[in-house]
Amino acid sequence: MFRELDPLLHSQLRLAVMAILMSVEEADFVYLKEKTQSTAGNLSVQLDKLSEAGYIKVEKSFVGKKTHTACQILPAGRKAFERYVQALKDYIG
Amino acid sequence: MEEKTLTEKESIEIISRMIQETKEGMQEGSGNMFLLWGYLSTIVSLMIYFGYNATGNTNIFWFWWLIPALGWPAMVYLLKKRKRRVVTYINRIVSYIWIVIGICSVLVPIGSILAPVPFPALFVAALLVNIGVAMTGLVIKYRLLIISGFSGILFSFSLLFVHGLSCILVFAAMFVVLMIIPGHALNAASRKTKKYGLCSEN
Repeated sequence: MFRELDPLLHSQLRLAVMAILMSVEEADFVYLKEKTQSTAGNLSVQLDKLSEAGYIKVEKSFVGKKTHTACQILPAGRKAFERYVQALKDYIG
Repeated sequence: MEEKTLTEKESIEIISRMIQETKEGMQEGSGNMFLLWGYLSTIVSLMIYFGYNATGNTNIFWFWWLIPALGWPAMVYLLKKRKRRVVTYINRIVSYIWIVIGICSVLVPIGSILAPVPFPALFVAALLVNIGVAMTGLVIKYRLLIISGFSGILFSFSLLFVHGLSCILVFAAMFVVLMIIPGHALNAASRKTKKYGLCSEN
């Protein structure tokens, strides 16, 4: 029996963000936007969803006069991602 | 990146591509710390060498403390100024290596002052720095740093055999060859990465 794929991760942009955050300790908004080639608005919405689910931590601060948004994966997000990859493996066989 | 229903293969493809994206080469200004400590140590060493030769005043050896006194604040300033958009595990490991080396490098001259027996402070300091260079090279997989670091480790032992003020000149030369040159090379490599998106040597 196949496991259900986590609907929160089974989305192009959210999955891309999670894959990046799994590979680094911390990434800022501009980095994520550039690597995922997404729009600022869309990325912001998806980051909020991941943050509300407790998958990532989003920290906003000021560097000089500019805002800086740093994202980090949380243990719940790491586990969810690992489960998602395992489920994918089951599907693909 | 548009939102759409994903197939399993597309999911795998996104994950692989994003992981690959994070493996790009060095970040801009990677060599700045090497340049800071390299130039500072070389200039202070030469200042002490020529100063002592000119005046014969042993108080000039207190100038060694200029290295940490100027280096630490400058390093903190550079770290704050740096626009780091991503922190990788490699960045973290390299930072930890240099924190340990930095602390030990401050303890070495203190030990040399307090030690009741002659203490080869320049040798120990040079060895520590070169261990740091070699470890950094191995972690970031940058050949020039690996070669510089290990050559430096060997070269450091020459300080046990050189006597008198000449060891200060050897110490200064070591920083030119093992920190300043690799520092400029690292910055050139990181500029290349930024321009062409190339991996350095990864």
